Amino acid sequence: MFETRRVRTRVLLQVLLTVLVIPFVFPLVAMVQGSLKGAGWANYGTVLSLPLLPGFFRNSAIIAAAVIVIVLVCTMTAAFGFSKLHIRGKEFFFWLLLACLTLPGVVLLSPLFATVTRVGGYNTLWAVILPVAALQIPFTTLLARNFVDGIPNELLEAARVDGANTVRTFWYVLAPLTRPIMAAILVLVFINSWNEFLLALLFLQTPDHQTITLVPQYFVGQYNNDQTKVLAAAVLTGLPVVIAYIALQRYFERGLAAGALK
Amino acid sequence: MTTLTHRPGATTARPSRRRLQRPAGLPWILPALVVSVGLLYYCIFYTAYLSTLDWDGVSPLKDSVGAANYVKMVGDPVFRGALWHTLVFFVVSLVVQVVLGIVFACLLHSKLYLKTFYKVLIFIPVVLATATVAPVFRQIYAPDGTLNGLLGAVGLGSLQHTWLSDPTIALLIVISVQVWQSTGVVFVLYFAAIGQIPPEMIEAARLDGAGNLRIIASIVWPSVRGTTIAITILTAIGSLKTFDIPFLVTSGGPSYGTEFLGTQIYRVSISFAQVGYGAALSMVLLVLALAAAVVINVGGRRGSATDV
Repeated sequence: MFETRRVRTRVLLQVLLTVLVIPFVFPLVAMVQGSLKGAGWANYGTVLSLPLLPGFFRNSAIIAAAVIVIVLVCTMTAAFGFSKLHIRGKEFFFWLLLACLTLPGVVLLSPLFATVTRVGGYNTLWAVILPVAALQIPFTTLLARNFVDGIPNELLEAARVDGANTVRTFWYVLAPLTRPIMAAILVLVFINSWNEFLLALLFLQTPDHQTITLVPQYFVGQYNNDQTKVLAAAVLTGLPVVIAYIALQRYFERGLAAGALK
Repeated sequence: MTTLTHRPGATTARPSRRRLQRPAGLPWILPALVVSVGLLYYCIFYTAYLSTLDWDGVSPLKDSVGAANYVKMVGDPVFRGALWHTLVFFVVSLVVQVVLGIVFACLLHSKLYLKTFYKVLIFIPVVLATATVAPVFRQIYAPDGTLNGLLGAVGLGSLQHTWLSDPTIALLIVISVQVWQSTGVVFVLYFAAIGQIPPEMIEAARLDGAGNLRIIASIVWPSVRGTTIAITILTAIGSLKTFDIPFLVTSGGPSYGTEFLGTQIYRVSISFAQVGYGAALSMVLLVLALAAAVVINVGGRRGSATDV
């Protein structure tokens, strides 16, 4: 993009880039630095030796896994249906789904609370899993439909001519072809559900049901606001998503970009 | 499967016939509709009903009060404050993110060193939960925190401040956390959009003597218009949805100085147990979010039509 043939410009631009990135890195450095103050690495020891911690991790993992399965199944079947199959009033249903893109999660607060308490779902992981999945599906379906639209109809028709029914066509033709967008959706949904805060705060009341995002708050109470422990806990809760992102960075950016370019 | 693709005969059907032949797809979209549309629309209608009640959320006593909750909103200074903060938040965060996003995208499309490394650094804040990073920001802006420490160390002790107890500065801090967290997304979207600009176009402009800034203004900016509109919609809806950051970093304070619709709904519905009023606020928030999406979308399209 920018002309970098002259060494001076190149150095200048590299410096500019570095200076602009500093504010993005500073809080991360402050986080790690703060977590090592006082007792140093022992802060991490204290956090890790907390008997409840594996439970927090397990709950977050269960929620993320369940949300991923629900979202992937609903999204891929819906993308196939919307893109390649005959549905009367198809666009009406699609818009019904898309309108939910604008829905702020906090709007669900009261009705969910009333409903969840009535059906006895309070303090169960389902109270978080289902709403989180419901809130993700509109966006992931938009992404996946755009992707499936790009697959030539001829491929699917050829499968049909050869005698494959719709289910087999989906499983043997469409599913393998949509792996890239599935990977993108997987990372996106993992990060969003792992990071869910509001619904977890609202519905998960006892520590053995709580999730990783509630840990820093838990530590504020437990350790009388000992910042070093709180920050160590924050670093530990952030690590899984950072690792997931760096490992799957390619898919993640491709998925986001695919959704926006259409 | 490879043999299938070698059958040209299968593709010769007329488009109209092909459509008629397509298998029925309703069962395929049902799971998504049930989970998403079912649950979310159920909640919306339920909220609409709740918004006509005077109810604490627990007692069996529910008084129907008609539109009283909506009338109450008109005279509620906290609600007006929340709307104002949302607007400021939207405008400032949008401008800063768009500028930073485009600059980063252009820089990282240039021949520079360690581009992936920089990309990852810009994007890490996006994937971290607000709940994870909120303690850091509280620590940075605390009276004895990192920022005051830095100011003291470089001899600018006179600028030290109790940052989070000044409503205006607290609002700016909330905005800065938002910018920190979502510039990565804006950058990735612009990065992809700029990748679609034909290199010949930029090459030609350069031959005509255009400098870097001129190329951004005259070629890049008009080419990424669609992305800018998408980002504007995302930011508008995101601003209306704002909850985690003010809730966790400033708790909506000081003196409601960083109250947003989301935090107000939480406070009213949960802390004050005024479920009816909270639901009415939710309905207004929902209508505003839908309206924002429609207005920006239509406005953006009209703008591009006059450009042609």
